[in-house]
Amino acid sequence: MPQNDIHTKEYFHSVVFYREDCIGCTKCVRVCPTEAIRVRMGKAIIDPHRCIDCSKCVSVCPTEALRVEADKLESIYSFKYRLAVISASYEGQFAEDFGFKNALKALYHLGFDEVAEQAMITNITAEIIRDYIKIHPNIRPILSSNCPAIVRLVQVRFPSLLPNLLHIESPMSMLAKYYRDKIIREKGLKEEDIGIFLIVPSASQVTAVHQPEGNYKHLHNGAIAINEIYSKVLAMQKELEEDTRPIVSYANGLSWALSGMEAEEIATEGIETLAISGIHNVIEVLSNIEGHRLDQYHYIELRNCEQGCVGGGLNIENPFVAASRIRKLINNSEKIKIDNDYFFRLYKEGYFDVTQLEPRSMMELDKDIKTAITKMKRVKEITDMLPGIDCAVCGSPTCKALAEDIVLEKAELSDCLIRLRKLRTKKNEE
Amino acid sequence: MKGSEAVKSKSIPEYWAIKPGFEEEIKKIINERPEPEISLDYEIAENDYVKTGKASSDVKFFLKKLGVNPEVLRRVAVASYEAEINVTAHSKGGKVTANIYSDYIIMMFEDYGPGIADIEQAMQPGFSTANELAREMGFGAGLGLPNIKKNCDGMYLSSEPGGSTTLIFFIYYEEKSYAAK
Ligand SMILES: Nc1ncnc2c1ncn2[C@@H]1O[C@H](COP(=O)(O)OP(=O)(O)OP(=O)(O)O)[C@@H](O)[C@H]1O
Ligand code: SF4
Ligand code: SF4
Ligand SMILES: [Mg+2]
Repeated sequence: MPQNDIHTKEYFHSVVFYREDCIGCTKCVRVCPTEAIRVRMGKAIIDPHRCIDCSKCVSVCPTEALRVEADKLESIYSFKYRLAVISASYEGQFAEDFGFKNALKALYHLGFDEVAEQAMITNITAEIIRDYIKIHPNIRPILSSNCPAIVRLVQVRFPSLLPNLLHIESPMSMLAKYYRDKIIREKGLKEEDIGIFLIVPSASQVTAVHQPEGNYKHLHNGAIAINEIYSKVLAMQKELEEDTRPIVSYANGLSWALSGMEAEEIATEGIETLAISGIHNVIEVLSNIEGHRLDQYHYIELRNCEQGCVGGGLNIENPFVAASRIRKLINNSEKIKIDNDYFFRLYKEGYFDVTQLEPRSMMELDKDIKTAITKMKRVKEITDMLPGIDCAVCGSPTCKALAEDIVLEKAELSDCLIRLRKLRTKKNEE
Repeated sequence: MKGSEAVKSKSIPEYWAIKPGFEEEIKKIINERPEPEISLDYEIAENDYVKTGKASSDVKFFLKKLGVNPEVLRRVAVASYEAEINVTAHSKGGKVTANIYSDYIIMMFEDYGPGIADIEQAMQPGFSTANELAREMGFGAGLGLPNIKKNCDGMYLSSEPGGSTTLIFFIYYEEKSYAAK
C-alpha cells in the first residue's frame, strides 16, 4: 500500500510514495523543481502543496519508492458506455508494421465502445487561442495551459503570472463535452452511464483528471496510462488484423504531441509565439517573463516534458522515435472535416471559460511581512554558517533550503554533517 | 578604480524622478538614512552576460519569500534587471546593494566608469550607445533607463564622463499613493 502522505483532502497526486521502499538516498530531493521533497530520519517526505506531479523524482528514484499511479483499465467496466479519449502521443508508440489504425482498433478490443482522438480538435483549438490572443491585447505573453504540471508550477512558483495563463479549458475537456452530448443524444443514455477515460502520457494529466484546476465542467471519469495498456495492445496484433472495422483518424492533428508545433500553428497573422519544453527551461523562461523580458511574444507554449507529450514518463517509446513516427503520420494523413463551428460557438458563449486560477504559493516565510523579514534575517545568518556546497546530504535540496527549514523548525543545524565534521576537525586540531 | 572619490567632490550632474506623492517619504529616507532590515551585496562584471541577472533574480527570490505583492515584485524585477544589465553592458563593472525594509526596497548600483556624458539624453527612450556585443545579446533599444523610471516610485541617477555612475531606485510594496496622507 502506498503511504499516501502526499495525498490530502486538499490535493490529489498521481505521484505516490511507498515509504518502506525508500532508502533515503536524496536523489529525488535534488531534482524536484519546486523543492517539495525532504529526507528526514532516512525517509523522503513530500509536501502536497508544492508537488506539481511533474514526475521528475519518479525517474531518478533507484528503488521505485516513487511511482505514478493512474487508473486501472478495469475501472472502465463500471460504466455502460465507455469512451476513450487518446492523447496525441499514443499513436507514436507503435511501429509502422504494427500500424496506428491497429493501435486505435485495439481500444475497442480492450472494452471501449468509442474512441476519440485529441488530434481531432487541434485546428479549432488553435483558432480559439488566436481569438483569445486578439481579445486580450493587454495580456502579454499569454501562456499555454494545457500542460497541467505547468499550470501548477505557475501556481506554486510564479503566482504573479497566473493572469497570463490561457484561461480556457484544455482540448481534452472540450472533446469530453462534445462526446458526452453526442452520446446522450445519439444513444439515449444517461449521464452516469457514460464513462470517459483519457489515455495519457504523463502523471500530471492523471492528476488533472482527478483534481482539475479552475471550473472544469465536464469531468472525465479517469485517466489510464499509455504504458498500462501498451503490452496488451501489442499482444492483440493477430486479432486486430482480422478486425475489418473502418477506422477514421484525425492524424493530421497529432502535431501537438510534439513541442513547438502548437506555437507554430498559432503563429499566423502577425502573432509571435515561442515554444519551451523541459521543466528547467520553463522555469528559466517564466522567470524572464516575470521580469517583463518576453513581452514581445503574444503566446508562449510551455511543456513540462522535454520534446512535449511524446517525452511523458508514461510512454514506452523513446521520444525522438515517437516524434518521427508522428511526423510521418501527419504527412501521410488525410484531412477530415469536423464541426469546428460547434466548438467555436461554445467557446464564444463562454462555455469553456475557466475561473481565475488561485496561487498555491508556499513561497513566503510568513503571512506577516515583518515576521517574514525577521525569519529571513535568521535564514541569512544560518546560510552563512553552512558550507554552501548544496550536497543535499542533510535531506534538504540546498544549503539555503536547509537554513529555511531550520528557521521554520523543520530541521536542525546539526543536520548538516559537513559542518559537524568541520567543527570536529577544528576541535581536534586545538 | 578607487579614483572616483576625488571626482565626486566636484558638482556632479544629477537626475531625480519621483512619482507624485512619494516626495516626502523619499526625502525623509535620504535625510534619516534608516538601517535596512536586510542588506544584500553583489558584484557585477563587465560584459559577463552569463552571470549578469544574478543579483536581480536573487533579490526577486528574497521578496517572494517575504510575500511581497506579485505586481510590485515584477516591477522590482524589471528595474533591477535593467540596471544590472546597464552596468554589464556600459561600464567597467560595479556593484549593487539591495536594502530591504519592511515597506520598501532601495537598490543602489555603482560602477567604475566611464560614466554618462549627458544624463538627460541617456534618459530619452531610444537613445543608446550599446556596443556590438550588447546588441548581439539583444540589448541596445535605449529603453532600459526609461523603463526603470516607469517602474520605480523614486529614481536617482548621477554620473559624469570619466567618473562612475550611480543609480538608486526606491520601490514601495504597497501600490498606494502617499499623496492622500
Ligand atoms: N551604468 C552606465 N554607465 C555608462 N553609461 C550608461 C550606463 N547606463 C546607461 N548608460 C548610457 O545610457 C544609455 C541608455 O541606457 P538605456 O538602458 O536606456 O538603454 P540601452 O542600455 O542602451 O538599451 P536597452 O536598455 O534598451 O537594452 C546607454 O546606451 C548608455 O549610453
Ligand atoms: S512529482 Fe515533481 S514536484 Fe512532485 S515531488 Fe516529484 S519532482 Fe517534486
Ligand atoms: S530517490 Fe527519494 S524516494 Fe527514492 S529512495 Fe531516494 S530518497 Fe527515497
Ligand atoms: Mg539598458
